[in-house]
Amino acid sequence: MRKLRIIIIIIFFIILFMFFTRLLSPKYATSLVEGSMISQYYDESKDHEVVFIGDCEVYANFSPMVMFEEKGIKAYIRGSSQQLIWQSYYILEETLKYEKPKVVVFNVNSMRYAEPVSEEYNRLTIDYMKWSKQKVDIIKASMTEDENIWYYIFPLLRYHSRYDKLTKEDFEYLFKRKDNTFNGFLVNKNVKPVENLPVKKRLASYQFEDICYEYLDKITKLCKDNSIELVLIKAPSVYPYWYDEYDEQIKQYAEKNDIDYYNLKNNVEEIGIDYSTDTYDGGLHLNLNGATKLSKFFANILAENYNLTDFSGDKLYNQKLQEYKEFIK
Amino acid sequence: MNVLLLIISILLYASFGWQSLFYVFFSIITTFVAAKHLKGNNKKLVLIATIIINLAILIFMKVVPFTKLSILAPLGISYYTLQIISYLVDVYKNKYEPEEKLFNFTLYIMYIPHLFIGPISRYDDMKKTLLEKRKITANNIFDGLLRVGWGLIKKFVIAGRAAIIISSISGNEEYGGAYALLAMIIYSINIYADFSGGIDIVIGISKMLGIDLKENFNSPYYSESFKEFWRKWHISLSSWLKDYVYIPLGGNRCSTFRKNINLLITFLVSGLWHGVNYIIWGILNGIFVMFGDKFKTKSKILNRLVTFILISFLWSFFIWPDQTTSLKMMASVFTNFNYSEVATQILNLGLTIADWIIFAIFTLILFIFDGNKEKILPKLQNSKMETKTILIGTMCLIVLVLGIYGIGFNVSNFIYSKF
Repeated sequence: MRKLRIIIIIIFFIILFMFFTRLLSPKYATSLVEGSMISQYYDESKDHEVVFIGDCEVYANFSPMVMFEEKGIKAYIRGSSQQLIWQSYYILEETLKYEKPKVVVFNVNSMRYAEPVSEEYNRLTIDYMKWSKQKVDIIKASMTEDENIWYYIFPLLRYHSRYDKLTKEDFEYLFKRKDNTFNGFLVNKNVKPVENLPVKKRLASYQFEDICYEYLDKITKLCKDNSIELVLIKAPSVYPYWYDEYDEQIKQYAEKNDIDYYNLKNNVEEIGIDYSTDTYDGGLHLNLNGATKLSKFFANILAENYNLTDFSGDKLYNQKLQEYKEFIK
Repeated sequence: MNVLLLIISILLYASFGWQSLFYVFFSIITTFVAAKHLKGNNKKLVLIATIIINLAILIFMKVVPFTKLSILAPLGISYYTLQIISYLVDVYKNKYEPEEKLFNFTLYIMYIPHLFIGPISRYDDMKKTLLEKRKITANNIFDGLLRVGWGLIKKFVIAGRAAIIISSISGNEEYGGAYALLAMIIYSINIYADFSGGIDIVIGISKMLGIDLKENFNSPYYSESFKEFWRKWHISLSSWLKDYVYIPLGGNRCSTFRKNINLLITFLVSGLWHGVNYIIWGILNGIFVMFGDKFKTKSKILNRLVTFILISFLWSFFIWPDQTTSLKMMASVFTNFNYSEVATQILNLGLTIADWIIFAIFTLILFIFDGNKEKILPKLQNSKMETKTILIGTMCLIVLVLGIYGIGFNVSNFIYSKF
């Protein structure tokens, strides 16, 4: 009997531990919503023919709902802030456990980063991933020097010091989640025209690091092994961070591996992007207006070249489209 | 079980730098062999030679930081060297027979929990509890966990916060006057919570293994004089110094002048044991022990307060990196009257209001516990397993939620592990 009582007490404390873990972990519901995007996918229908993977250049610039309206495409964006190439690889690997799209669109911007940028960015991508082999791999590949895998296994060890930073959001979303995207697209209606651009820096080397190629090869192989068409893109941005030398390397890689590559920076005029109205941060990312234009343009490329099904009559997607239209009004 | 304990100890020790194993094994083997030759005509020569060899290594390691040499001092060298000396002297004086088995002697020295921060255990005490048969019981495990939990609260909830304040103040040499005084008082809490917390963890882990280590603290900040303080603070070091330095020098069985010289030498050794930078600290402690009793009043509270403040002043040598700065900071308390400024800047010293409140509450609990240990401890020990489980669970949650740890904090860093 005494043993049973002790076991009950231990279980009670384990529940308390879980409660504090939940309470003190960031909810990413109404602030820093970028941290909630990866997890929203788990509750979605898994019948996408196109899956985008990449960093902010995908979740801010492409709207799957516009693509559906334009060409009946079912697409989903699995992107997060500063999503590094190895993170994109493991997220793709995880996605393929749930569904097998016809096309995977990978935004090559992350080829520029060979090292984790910061623990905070890692958290936005990893925190709310479901536990799987991919989550363990992504953690191991992404941790900065100061980090420790135990901080991911037991988030309380990482977030315990938030006790004096709790807000209304932490209590409101203690046991529920808020979906902030439409199929992975994070709507931003703000307008901040291009004014001052950073100076284009000269780099010591323009060669992508081996580790980036290693993961690009892995993404290519994963798609090939699953008979998925891989499409490489570079989303438009007026910031001078994507050099011609970078572009040349991707072109060569695409040619060598028989992959399509679209540098959409070259189609800005054709798309009709106006950087005085179509960006929310002075030209780094597109806003809702810009994303709508780009999505229409790219939906046509996808529909014309990749033998996609026209799902225009799909009830669930039409309902989603209505919700989307309501939201962006 | 002791085989496993030794293997774990060696592996853990090696994880802090495998090169250190050479030093510790050298000391273990030379001492083990020498102890067997502490009989016959040459015994004094063997004793002195072995002590000198081990002391030379210790002194060399203490001096290394002041040279350009990049040699890492072996973990726990200050602790195991004292254990070795006490063992050699005791065998020499026929207090007990030398250990027969090298394995046992190695385990006595290398028993990893006490190698980090002590306590400095004596061989005859450890023989009874570590080397002879013992039992792991549920009661021992629960009592041990309680002790570990309390140690973790002291270390992570109290000392962790105090260390942030200290680091804010000591990192800026312009922070003199009231800031310096605040740092001294906070450091008193910091070093006590950190050191005694670490010792609680060591004693608690040992308890779980069925090993009873001696206490190293006995409510030291309730002392009414320096003499009393040094009987209650770092007891294993104080008693070692008494037995192997003070008494051999003549102790108090001599003239008052000679007794005072003996005291000064003992505290000088204490300072040197901490490091070259702590010589003045050692001597000043000796002076306060010599004359402190003469200024005692009839009021217990006043005596305790004065002793606490004076002790806090002397901790300056631990806060600031060199003796000159420490003395300058002590003087600034009386020359720089920026007391009203500190009151307004209290939230710019690294802690939020919530942190200050948590720090104050748990420090108060620590002092209340220390003042009522005799009543609380028996009750705790005799309480039901269920009560102990609730207490352990609560302490774990307190440490996990309110502890200062994580990215940017080195949790295995104890103040006394550097000595």
